[in-house]
Amino acid sequence: MSETAAGKRRNYAAFDDEIETRGFDFGLVVRLLKWMRPYRRQGFMAIAFVLLAASAAVLAPVVVSRVVVDGILLPTSDAGAPDFGQKALNSFLATSFDLHPLFSACLLFGLWTVLWAFFGHGFRTMLARTVLHALRDLRRDLFAHLEKLPSSFYDRVAVGRVMTRLTNDIETLFELLAGFGVLLGEFVPFFAAVSVMMALNPTLTLELLVLLPVAAVATWIFRVVSRQVYRNIRSSMSRLNENLQENLSGIEVVQLYGRERINFERYNAINEENRQQENLAVRIESYYGPSMDSMAFLAIAAIVWFGGQHVLSGVATLGSVILFAQFADMMFRPIVAMGEQWNVVFRAMASCERIFQALDWDEALEVPKETRSLPDDVEGRVTFNHLTFGYTPGTTILKDVSFEIRPGERVAIVGPTGSGKTSLVRLLCRFYDVPRNSILIDGVDIMDVEPAEIRKRVGVVLQDFHIFSGTVYDNITLGNPAVTREAAREAARLVHADPFIRMLPQGYDTVLTERGRNLSHGQRQLLAFARVLAMNPDILILDEATASIDTETELIIQDALSKVTEGRTSIIIAHRLQTIREADRIVVLADGEVREFGSHQELMARGGLYKTLYELQVQDTAGR
Amino acid sequence: MESRATTSRTDGRSPSSPLWRLVPLVQRHKWRFWGGMSLINTGRLLEAVMPLYLKMGIDRIAAGDTRLALPALAILGLMVLRYIAFNIGRRLVREVGVNAAYELRQRLYWHLELQGPLFFSKFTTGDLMARAINDITLIRQLIGMGTRLLFVLGFSGIVAFLFMFYQSPSLTLALLPALPVFAIIGWLIARRIFDQSTLVQEGFSALSAQVQENLNGIRTIQTHAQEDRETERFEATSDHYAGNYYKLMFLNSGLTSAMLVATGFTTLMVVGYGGMQVLEGTLTLGTFTAFIFYLNMMLAPIREGGIMITLFQRGGSAAARIFEILDHEPEIRDAPDATPLEGIGGALTINHLSYTHPAQKGEGWPALKDVSLEIGKGEMIALLGRVGSGKSTLLRLIVRLLDPPPGTIYLDGRDIRMLPVTQVRSQIAMVPQDPFLFATHIAQNISYDNPERATDDVWRAAESADLETTIRRFPDRLETIVGERGVTLSGGQKQRASLARGLIRETPVLLLDDCFSSVDTETEEFILSRLKSLRHGHTTIMVSHRVSTARHADRIVVLDEGRIAETGSHAELLARDGLYAALERQQGRREELERALEKDVGDDT
Ligand SMILES: Nc1ncnc2c1ncn2[C@@H]1O[C@H](COP(=O)(O)OP(=O)(O)OP(=O)(O)O)[C@@H](O)[C@H]1O
Ligand SMILES: Nc1ncnc2c1ncn2[C@@H]1O[C@H](COP(=O)(O)OP(=O)(O)OP(=O)(O)O)[C@@H](O)[C@H]1O
Ligand SMILES: [Mg+2]
Ligand SMILES: [Mg+2]
Repeated sequence: MSETAAGKRRNYAAFDDEIETRGFDFGLVVRLLKWMRPYRRQGFMAIAFVLLAASAAVLAPVVVSRVVVDGILLPTSDAGAPDFGQKALNSFLATSFDLHPLFSACLLFGLWTVLWAFFGHGFRTMLARTVLHALRDLRRDLFAHLEKLPSSFYDRVAVGRVMTRLTNDIETLFELLAGFGVLLGEFVPFFAAVSVMMALNPTLTLELLVLLPVAAVATWIFRVVSRQVYRNIRSSMSRLNENLQENLSGIEVVQLYGRERINFERYNAINEENRQQENLAVRIESYYGPSMDSMAFLAIAAIVWFGGQHVLSGVATLGSVILFAQFADMMFRPIVAMGEQWNVVFRAMASCERIFQALDWDEALEVPKETRSLPDDVEGRVTFNHLTFGYTPGTTILKDVSFEIRPGERVAIVGPTGSGKTSLVRLLCRFYDVPRNSILIDGVDIMDVEPAEIRKRVGVVLQDFHIFSGTVYDNITLGNPAVTREAAREAARLVHADPFIRMLPQGYDTVLTERGRNLSHGQRQLLAFARVLAMNPDILILDEATASIDTETELIIQDALSKVTEGRTSIIIAHRLQTIREADRIVVLADGEVREFGSHQELMARGGLYKTLYELQVQDTAGR
Repeated sequence: MESRATTSRTDGRSPSSPLWRLVPLVQRHKWRFWGGMSLINTGRLLEAVMPLYLKMGIDRIAAGDTRLALPALAILGLMVLRYIAFNIGRRLVREVGVNAAYELRQRLYWHLELQGPLFFSKFTTGDLMARAINDITLIRQLIGMGTRLLFVLGFSGIVAFLFMFYQSPSLTLALLPALPVFAIIGWLIARRIFDQSTLVQEGFSALSAQVQENLNGIRTIQTHAQEDRETERFEATSDHYAGNYYKLMFLNSGLTSAMLVATGFTTLMVVGYGGMQVLEGTLTLGTFTAFIFYLNMMLAPIREGGIMITLFQRGGSAAARIFEILDHEPEIRDAPDATPLEGIGGALTINHLSYTHPAQKGEGWPALKDVSLEIGKGEMIALLGRVGSGKSTLLRLIVRLLDPPPGTIYLDGRDIRMLPVTQVRSQIAMVPQDPFLFATHIAQNISYDNPERATDDVWRAAESADLETTIRRFPDRLETIVGERGVTLSGGQKQRASLARGLIRETPVLLLDDCFSSVDTETEEFILSRLKSLRHGHTTIMVSHRVSTARHADRIVVLDEGRIAETGSHAELLARDGLYAALERQQGRREELERALEKDVGDDT
């Protein structure tokens, strides 16, 4: 084992750690664009719409200031400043429809407003569509990737941590991408406004632009000051969630052991920390936010002062000063928006890294390029050949395990708890990598076969099975269309689950709650058993599949099973010896080593571990 | 999942009611909230004064007056005052939002701690997580930002209106007919936003529930090679969510655009009507400009009204989802006149106990029927019975994980419903059938009820559960981290860790629910022999399917389909030749087993 997958020591802690970005990482954003590609048409349309909307947004005030004020109300002060053809357009409208120029100007203003609203709506919906679709695909890709990660990964990493990547982290990206859209929507009017202002009065514009660096510096200071606070907030949030999640999963134990108070206090300590950090962030933001929208006031003061001088000295028109006052707001909007987005951007960068870290997590079972497939009708010869295995480098759980199961044979594995029985089964199902040629099915090294294929051929009732919420029927078929309703019933009948299922309020369509908590433990185990039979595997493995089942039911199952598994290789792991009564041969595993292997009689004759176990279980019950 | 979605939707039908329920959260910080609001509105007032000086400036420029320092400096002064007002005001209001989130989280957590099985059959972990994270955030945004926008909108609307009226009454009155139009548009779209955002939030819950279940059952999915199908299923959920989200965004954006057009037409009226007045000479150009400024000031919040409405509707639907949980009264509570017993002995009386699991829909059927049992202090009882015969149900009723009917279960002669729940659970330890371990150290798992326990006690409990040698073999000993739900332990190791967690408490009554099912017989014998001396004089009930376990008990109770089929000692029951005797024959008899195990061997060798 040590030379294969486990040889590469992975830093699972990295997956659990709070990821912090070094700052804005353009590479990450570029990588995100890959998911936007299929929707680029909508994306470009969104950009086109935002340009159109911004133009309309700029033209509407131009109509008021240049056409109405400069052209109609105070016609004398016209100094030939650009009006983007609005005056000509207006007089054209006025003459062709025979309107008072003031009314045609109003019509024009109304037109630009409607277009502004229309294109704005087009932009926002197109942007939402692009981003939502892209993120939906990203979510699917991430999910598909996570579904394929091997057990060695899930052994080490908390489900909650993996889960937030699929849920909250992707939500944050939505905020980021939608935020980019908002920024774009603010920058276009900004450039339009600045260029109009430049055209009208370059000196005044430059005087105003001096304010921009001031805003930029304020933003920079804000970011430096708030960075650590936001980091603390994120960390306390994820600890809150983790705590809640674990508490909910183990709620029964929490209540049984009276831990409600302690858990609540621990949770609340984090909650308190979160509140303090949030309040700190609020404080910092309230210094910053209003300072940004004060910029517009500063600009207006400057316009009155400098613009006034210009008009008085005849360099500028009054209309252009009014226009400037109207544009002052537009000039600072992108900075305000950027300040608001900082927080999101940094949160999103961290989310992005977490998502890509999960997507790039290349832990996978070793599958050769040229896979072999198992023969169509698997005979069921299973060979363990000097198999040594440990879950982590440096530990060995199984030591030099060698034995062979003949086609169609029923073999039992017994041994003290923790001796490695379940591990052996997991390896046979290809949940972990094993050294080459150490496990063979029908002479084919399982390392040469696609893991999914092995799992279709080898059916295993796991010791720690999982029942999903959903109907009984869904739990047996697991959504596999190859399993018909009838096959599911037949499987349930085989494991004697049919009687109790039919007693349920809606029979096979009864909805089970999370983890099947509305069934008894044994009933759940029967379902897990039935679902393996329903897939009709070539090799059947039962890992303590009847541990929670009473003997009477177990005997019924064994009778039914012995008929259907006739001639099918099966491996049965059990502590109770009556469970293995059908076994042809028995493997005794202790401390990861095969101690004894042979038929009941042979092992009894040897007088080893098996005999001890046996004697313990049959010890004179009848006699007492 | 689908059905749940529709039920909770109808619960939160009326958009206003959940919002009112947020009021107490705000009222608790009323000084901060109203102080902040007044400051913000003072800031707005200062903003409203600004156009006056702009007007002064423009009029002076138009008149060729060079005294521009006064208007420019006045605007600067206003800026500084406004900054101060906004700085403090926003901070105060947003702090109320942060505090409300803090308090809601606190309440929600404590509330969840008290819930029983019926509740958890309604709400999955993933769903609850989604509510605790997203919905509380939405409520915080509503209180910290939505209310601010609401008051600003109302206030600046009124102020601007008054200023405008002062400037030019006729022009202002011309605007009045536009106001109801805004209200109607806003109201119509707002209702749909509420419904749509409920759908979005439910979609997120569904998504997170699916992810959560899927990752928890990943090994099962992989053994059945169902990864691709699960991905397809997930894609459908995710697509549904994206679709609903898109509709919400569409509504939001539509509202924004509608408001824009409406405000645009208002401006248009002012430009047309006011322009005429300027041309006629009844209005100065400065007043005209100032008027447009006020108009913008009045209209800007209306344009932002879209954001405000969205915040309110999303926050309202989030509040409905949170209160849906907070309104769920805990199923199991202390009776009002419950008083603790002093010095629990551990005698249990079960008196004509019948119990039917409350089912979410459809009628349940009784899990226990007329069970009566007298268990003396210090007795060791074995509980046997077929799958689903009601063994776990009985134990769960005794610790009040389920609520027994009144007058059916007595501890030392007192109805356990008349005892505080905490006392029942601290005096009766139960080791559940499903060995759940937390993803921490083994030591912290074993001393779960009281983290303060001495290491020696932990070792002793581990020893009693025959886990000591196993732990000593782990490199990190007691500090070994066991993985989520104990994944890195073997089945038997998990079960014994869970057993040790129960044994360490040394309670007067101990309930063991099938705690040896994954343990080999040798280990079981060892544990049972220790248990017998450890529990000497204390009441113990153990569920088992094994005769070898039952043999150790003073008395054996066999349940069958929720009824007590027989009780008695091992020998008595064998003599009775009933269910137990049949079981004993099937399990342990040497000749039976031998015959079975030895068959067919001839062919193979
Ligand atoms: N995922 C894992 N990561 C690390 N160690 C593990 C993991 N699973 C099991 N182990 C360790 O490997 C050893 C063998 O475990 P295994 O589950 O194979 O035992 P088992 O024979 O099935 O025992 P039981 O009868 O109790 O089920 C145990 O010591 C256990 O702690
Ligand atoms: N939460 C629940 N809601 C509805 N029905 C339930 C619930 N829990 C158990 N039941 C039903 O009550 C009956 C008794 O269940 P119980 O768990 O007590 O059985 P048990 O004797 O412990 O069985 P096992 O040996 O399988 O553990 C079963 O038919 C089961 O389906
Ligand atoms: Mg095992
Ligand atoms: Mg049970």
